[in-house]
Amino acid sequence: MNAVANLANLSDERLLIEAAQHDPSRFAELYESNFNRVYAFVVRRVSNREEAEDVTAEVFHQALLNLGRFQWRGVPFAAWLLRIAANALADRWQRAAKHGEVQSPDALEQEPGADAQVERRAMLFQLVDRLPADQRLVILRRFVSQKSVREISQELGRSEGAVKQLQFRALATLRGQVRSDHE
Amino acid sequence: MNNASIFDEDELDRAIDQIIASPDAAPAANAPEMAELLDIAADLRALPRADFKMQLGMELQWKASGRLVSTCSRPALAASKWSGLEFIPTFFGSGKTYPVRRANFAASLALHAAMVAFLFLGFLTVKNMPHAVEPRFVLVDAYNMPPGPSSPDGGGGARAKTPASKGPLPRTADKQLTPPVITPPNPDPKLAVEDTIVAPDLNLPKPAQEGDPLSKVLSLSGGPGANGIGSNDGGGVGNGNNNSHGVGIGNRGFGTAYPPGNGVTAPRVIYSPEPEFSEEARKIKLQGVVVLGIVVGADGHPRNLRIERSLGMGLDEKALEAVRTWRFVPGTKDGHPVSVLMNIEVHFNLY
Repeated sequence: MNAVANLANLSDERLLIEAAQHDPSRFAELYESNFNRVYAFVVRRVSNREEAEDVTAEVFHQALLNLGRFQWRGVPFAAWLLRIAANALADRWQRAAKHGEVQSPDALEQEPGADAQVERRAMLFQLVDRLPADQRLVILRRFVSQKSVREISQELGRSEGAVKQLQFRALATLRGQVRSDHE
Repeated sequence: MNNASIFDEDELDRAIDQIIASPDAAPAANAPEMAELLDIAADLRALPRADFKMQLGMELQWKASGRLVSTCSRPALAASKWSGLEFIPTFFGSGKTYPVRRANFAASLALHAAMVAFLFLGFLTVKNMPHAVEPRFVLVDAYNMPPGPSSPDGGGGARAKTPASKGPLPRTADKQLTPPVITPPNPDPKLAVEDTIVAPDLNLPKPAQEGDPLSKVLSLSGGPGANGIGSNDGGGVGNGNNNSHGVGIGNRGFGTAYPPGNGVTAPRVIYSPEPEFSEEARKIKLQGVVVLGIVVGADGHPRNLRIERSLGMGLDEKALEAVRTWRFVPGTKDGHPVSVLMNIEVHFNLY
């Protein structure tokens, strides 16, 4: 059943790519469906969030620029995007290596379970977007803005207990959805 | 919410604080359920900013619709991505905070280029024009050149009782050493010098018997004048009434040149390009009239141009240069085209 679903998804993705090749405004759908995977792939290989955002943006700009040259070979579109991302990261590392700023990424690439972690993070980032608004807001303030529960409670005008409770519920919801996806 | 979950929330929050403070640290979890939540919390440390995804999506949407947007919110990316396109940052949309329509920029660039080309062509056209408007030149019709003692044109004579006899002209030369004669006083001179008239040297053979081509007298005669062949005292050939410019062939003339009047019609100019203003005269705004004396040949070409009244500052040369290219319907005498003397006034005026 999953194989049939995958084939259907690939067929849909192929139609979407062909549509975007004729009408670049349709690229938005490809962007939405692949953003988290590309970002998760990149953020695992760079040192900070800002650099991850820069590389992710570069990947999608290059993808849009070269979309007309993309040829469908039955491989998911994400694979093409991740190859662009790998090349972009390699370029950065080469430039940085000249200045002695970074270590070789080989260790990261050879780490077992790297791809699984990327997929897990991509799914997790996507699930955050589906959280109830108050839970999502607390997660973003806590992990992106790195604010304390007290700071968040003051910002939202809620008690610290309420914020802790929202944080716990959000994590529990995400855990439950990750579990169900793996099962 | 039960007590266990409340306790878990506090413990979880402390563990999350440790994760955020030191990413490499792995906080201890007393329960597997707690460990799962902390694993998720650890992954959430890399969560992208909420507005980043939306912002990048808008950038791509603008770009997909043919409009470029700024990437200056991520300077490092902007530098690497558009580093090759910094030549015209407005055109390529880098370094600005607003979207740019490339087509509009291209149209504007083309319009400006066309305007510059138009101005340049206009400049070239004006520079190469024969100054049809400014400065302005006025041609004054030819008028009879009054005879004067300083004019060198004129015929000659041998103090004979009969007019000069008919015959071909002597040879021409730039400088006259001895005037032409019909009968040499010394037929066997020790130092022979060829008699000539002053005119452009045409390298013609010396005739066996010289004379006045317009004369009807067949018997040999040098004419009643002196110093030449003809009725006056000039050193040339002709029937002028003084030594300066008699009718006929003077020692400065070429062929037979007549002043207009007395049956001689004035030449009529048919091609008269206007002279240019010299740069020196233009700079000091010099105006005035240059008078040129010319002979209009039977073929309608001006010859023997000389400056009768000068303006200087290069205007004389400009006048000569222009009038030399003029063409005329020649003047006539007895229905035949003849060379006619003329004065030409060339007016140089700045308007």
